[in-house]
Amino acid sequence: MLAEIMAIVIFVAMFVLIVWDRFPKHYVTLGCGALTSIFVFGIGMHSSEAFLKTLAIGGIFTPSFWHAAGESAEQTSGVNWATIIFLWGMMVMVEGMAEAGFFDWLCLKIAKLAKFEPVRIFVAFMILSSVLAMFIDSITVILFLAAVTIRLARTLKFNPVPVIMAEIFCANLGGSATMCGDPPNIIIGTSLGYSFADFVMNTGAIGGISLVIIIIYFYFTMRNRLQDPADKVAPGTIDVDVKIDNMREFLTSTIIFLIAIVLLVTHSMTGLTVAFIGTFIAIITLATAGRKALVLLKRVDYFTLLFFIGLFIVVGGLEETGVLVVIAEFIAKVSGGNAHLMIAIILWISAIASAFIDNIPFSATMIPVIRTLAATTGVDLSTMAWTLAIGTDIGGSMTPIGASANVVGISTAGKEGYPISWGTYCKELVPGTIIVLMVSMICIFFRYL
Amino acid sequence: MGQFIISVGREYGSGGHEIATILSEKFNVPLYDRNMLDQMAERNGIDAEDLHKHEEMKRQGLTRTVRGHSSSVQDTIAKLQFDFIREKAESGESFVVVGRCSENVLRDHPAHISLFIRGDEAVKTERICRLYKLNKIEAKAKMYRHDKKRKAYHNYYSKMKWGDSRGYDFCVNSSLMGVEATAEALYKMLSEFLNNKE
Repeated sequence: MLAEIMAIVIFVAMFVLIVWDRFPKHYVTLGCGALTSIFVFGIGMHSSEAFLKTLAIGGIFTPSFWHAAGESAEQTSGVNWATIIFLWGMMVMVEGMAEAGFFDWLCLKIAKLAKFEPVRIFVAFMILSSVLAMFIDSITVILFLAAVTIRLARTLKFNPVPVIMAEIFCANLGGSATMCGDPPNIIIGTSLGYSFADFVMNTGAIGGISLVIIIIYFYFTMRNRLQDPADKVAPGTIDVDVKIDNMREFLTSTIIFLIAIVLLVTHSMTGLTVAFIGTFIAIITLATAGRKALVLLKRVDYFTLLFFIGLFIVVGGLEETGVLVVIAEFIAKVSGGNAHLMIAIILWISAIASAFIDNIPFSATMIPVIRTLAATTGVDLSTMAWTLAIGTDIGGSMTPIGASANVVGISTAGKEGYPISWGTYCKELVPGTIIVLMVSMICIFFRYL
Repeated sequence: MGQFIISVGREYGSGGHEIATILSEKFNVPLYDRNMLDQMAERNGIDAEDLHKHEEMKRQGLTRTVRGHSSSVQDTIAKLQFDFIREKAESGESFVVVGRCSENVLRDHPAHISLFIRGDEAVKTERICRLYKLNKIEAKAKMYRHDKKRKAYHNYYSKMKWGDSRGYDFCVNSSLMGVEATAEALYKMLSEFLNNKE
């Protein structure tokens, strides 16, 4: 009982400290991870075995960590090293792409193809944001897209705020479509043994339908606020330079990106795990970067990776003490075994929770819960996994603090003198989030139940 | 006279802003206060009030930080102003700047002189009553509200505490001689200091 109480107290304290945002998040999770190790595993459980199981370092040295036959889960509990290694690899690749000017070029090229027409750019950037976020972390996508949007807005004299908000929403939506699009999906995929293709066929299909609907919604609600007709700039006077500074670097980074996509799309066939893909992509990025390799390595966001390690230990404490089973039993009891109600609860609770708290710890906590629910109620685990992924990924769009992309987009706009307050943000994106969640719920009900 | 930057921290009602204005006029240098956001608002074609309503405020409500990016509008506006002050200082321009944690932002700048203007409560209240046509209770409430906000803002973004004499070069009580006489005395003192510095 003591271990359970301490695990809950540490877990709640971690969430409060993350939401308080006074200390760096990696300090919070690592500190709470250390407390979990001492008080839960040590004093409460007297179990070095549970601690070692949660650390899960031994798993890295097994062949199945790098190459898995069939669709077995790559990691069942504890620190999800596959997620951490994969994220590290993708971060290295993205740094290489950014260094080569890939994102700037792509954004400006698409703006040019849209003939520098604000409404066309608005629609094109929503699609671009979704597509890029399927493969690249949404922070990077929004960092570049928002900066280019503001640059174009000044040249073409349009209001960048609605465009940036639509981009944020679409980045979160695109992220929900694939296994590597959003950290919760990587954690869900690696923990429960789903492949990239599984995500595309399920969350991807729902994301595709939602994207079409949300583009139509944003088009009709935002287009008239984009530009005053009097501000229209004559196409002949527009001078935006779309160029590549270093063609060799550009081509190399593009090829590596394409290799990463191919490896991810085919990983259920090749048996290569995401940990292998991440490591391989990082190695070829660094090998081709030459003298810049060290710079790319230094730019990787190690704090986020440390944040993950601490987080997994804290969640491991909850899992080992059986607290998450109690939560699962509670959901099963409330829903009375009704699958529709259970799915609705998972979807809406995930979405509302992710709107206010970080969706990564939330999804990491919920995975053992849905696993237990599937075992005890008979509802298909994959249905709950897709529901959890959609709920956490889409729910994050609802508030300025719900997802990393939102924070980066708001901050980028604010630094350029376009402040986006809570009120402005929620007014624009809460209705859109509710629409997409409703569409997703209907899709899940019809397809799986 | 070489480059000089005078930062003026102030209590509400002490006349600190008026003193800063007099100093900028006498030294014939620009005065930067809330106007530092006007240029950006004009450039972006937005209402300056949209920026002003978030300035000199500590972050409000639920916020989140990701890789150094903050979702707080107050954080962003504060950073915009800090960058503006730094850029002006780096450009070699001489100026007077009011509030905005400027004494903290320019702490290590060699041309920087920091002032903090305080005042006696009764005198400040009387001044607020006169300027804003308020009764004493309303004036006091306004004064406490503004000072509380300024203190919270300053202490959130600065190393030293608001009004702590160790954080400023000169701390002056404007109630002793009155706002104009204090400004005149400060002008004489600073002129002498800057001339001797050359």
